[in-house]
Amino acid sequence: MLLRSAFPAFLRMSLATMFQYRGEIALWAIWGVVYPSVAMAMWAAAVAGSPDGQTIRGFAPRDFAAYFWLTMVVGHATTAWDVYELGYFVQTGQFSPRLLRPVLPVWQSLADNLAYKLVTLAILVPIWAVIVLLTRPAFGTRTVDLAAGLPAVLLAAAVNYGWCYNVAMLSFWVTRMDAIGQGWFGAGLFFGGRLAPLALMPEALRKIASALPFKWVTWFPCETLMGRLSPAAVTQGLINQLAWIALGLVVFRIAWRLGIRRYSGVGA
Amino acid sequence: MENAPVCSTAPSSEGAALQCPLMAQIEARSLTKTFRVPEREGGLAAALAGLLRRRYRTVEAVAGIDFTIAEGEMVGFLGPNGAGKTTTLKMLTGLLHPTSGRATVLGYEPWRRESAFLRRVSMVMGQRTQLNWDLPAMDSFLVHLAVYGVDRSAGRRTLDELVELLDIGDCLRKQVRTLSLGERMRCEICVALLHRPAVLFLDEPTLGLDIAMQARIRRFVADYNRREGATVMLTSHYMADVTALCRRIIVIDHGRILFDGALADLARRLAPFKVVTVDLAGDLDGYALERLGAVLARGFRKATLRVPKERVAEVIGRLLADLPVLDLTVADPPVEEIIAQVLDGRGAPA
Repeated sequence: MLLRSAFPAFLRMSLATMFQYRGEIALWAIWGVVYPSVAMAMWAAAVAGSPDGQTIRGFAPRDFAAYFWLTMVVGHATTAWDVYELGYFVQTGQFSPRLLRPVLPVWQSLADNLAYKLVTLAILVPIWAVIVLLTRPAFGTRTVDLAAGLPAVLLAAAVNYGWCYNVAMLSFWVTRMDAIGQGWFGAGLFFGGRLAPLALMPEALRKIASALPFKWVTWFPCETLMGRLSPAAVTQGLINQLAWIALGLVVFRIAWRLGIRRYSGVGA
Repeated sequence: MENAPVCSTAPSSEGAALQCPLMAQIEARSLTKTFRVPEREGGLAAALAGLLRRRYRTVEAVAGIDFTIAEGEMVGFLGPNGAGKTTTLKMLTGLLHPTSGRATVLGYEPWRRESAFLRRVSMVMGQRTQLNWDLPAMDSFLVHLAVYGVDRSAGRRTLDELVELLDIGDCLRKQVRTLSLGERMRCEICVALLHRPAVLFLDEPTLGLDIAMQARIRRFVADYNRREGATVMLTSHYMADVTALCRRIIVIDHGRILFDGALADLARRLAPFKVVTVDLAGDLDGYALERLGAVLARGFRKATLRVPKERVAEVIGRLLADLPVLDLTVADPPVEEIIAQVLDGRGAPA
């Protein structure tokens, strides 16, 4: 199968490109730490100002530290940016050379995604370690939580990558994708529980979050790793992740077939 | 041999293969592509009005063209900007879906984008790179070999051969963004040929290159066509590319084919003249050149005439008898002039 030789080659090329621009990559990676750090500090301050000065809906400052530290790590493991990049490639016609190849362009994007996540670990792991030392998070993670949480993170990465690419394919119909990209990113922050644990949200918003994929990308793996979910909830969450992946694949096949018919190869 | 159907068994979305003669490798039948493009008047008022009501115009980029190209043929695809050349090439490589009509390349419908098809064709886009801009060219070559599933040792041999023929040994370790245009273009051609495509589409491969580099690339393409028996379809704004490489040309304008045939036939049909140039040992001294033909240029000791073909022998005899001729040449009119005639509608359509 062609992909067996193509994907490792794409991955090697992506890694080489990342090494070429290590400064830029480092800045992007550090930017990924900023959001959770701000949220962590904000909620720690909120706890201090709460009526009992100890917790907010069961979250103590060290629980918030654990939760947002995990959103940092899970956020890195699940990040995807095709909604911006594919739009740019399509708009400028740079997608054409990728389309000429006998493998789907999504594989090259996926290799880029993996390469970024691997290379930036060298910068992020020390930063994550320092944050742990400074904030002393209360993880409460047991072996069983790790056993369920690690697959949950992998599935979360698949959910986010797949749906991000699906949304990115709107670029076959829409010229400017920046606003859609921002909307997608913002929805992920809010409904994924990256600004606040979903338990702190109003019931109506929690219902909306349950109908969207973001909850299964960030909140679910984080809460699983913290050991805050029952075995039944973990099982249900993993099933939901698999369902989102399956639905994403169906949508991908349809959107790709329709989108590629619309592609006009502008400027190429 | 991989899954490579011949014309008579070509896969088709409609289940019926195109009928094509033996050895035809590229076929287009009523191939049409229209684009819906937004348009409005200039100015802020028109921009505001456009918020409420968008206006679109349908542009027929390719308007039902038909042609057949045989295996190993090298065909020049000519026309002014916006004529539909690149759109046609994009449909034939599977980048674009046609609005209507049919086409096969190597027996495949290109826009079905089957892997077996994509592995046997290649396209060089003068204005678009297939190389990774940020890495040395060698990295892109190695990725290309892997992506096309080329056997490691065979790929290495092809790469070495192409590197030598294109003289790009010095470029391999340079970051692509630092290459000169000529170096980059040779690397683009190298990467496009690494999987030894049976059909090669060249879209303005010499655009912006100096004359020496154009000639070098032309020699290479001619050689590749000869060695590999590859079918080549070439668009170029440089007529020298076409005259050097292609015996057959297709002239297209406003999406319609105006001429399809041998370059020599085009000259015969549309240019019943020869251009006669004489160099003299002495001055013309008011010699009445006008009696012999249309005077295109006149100097003290040199003149160029346009002479009807049937009078060429007579005119040469008169010039040799009347004037101290040092040198005399007879040539066809420049191809550019003939093509311009076709595009102006002075030439008969195909």
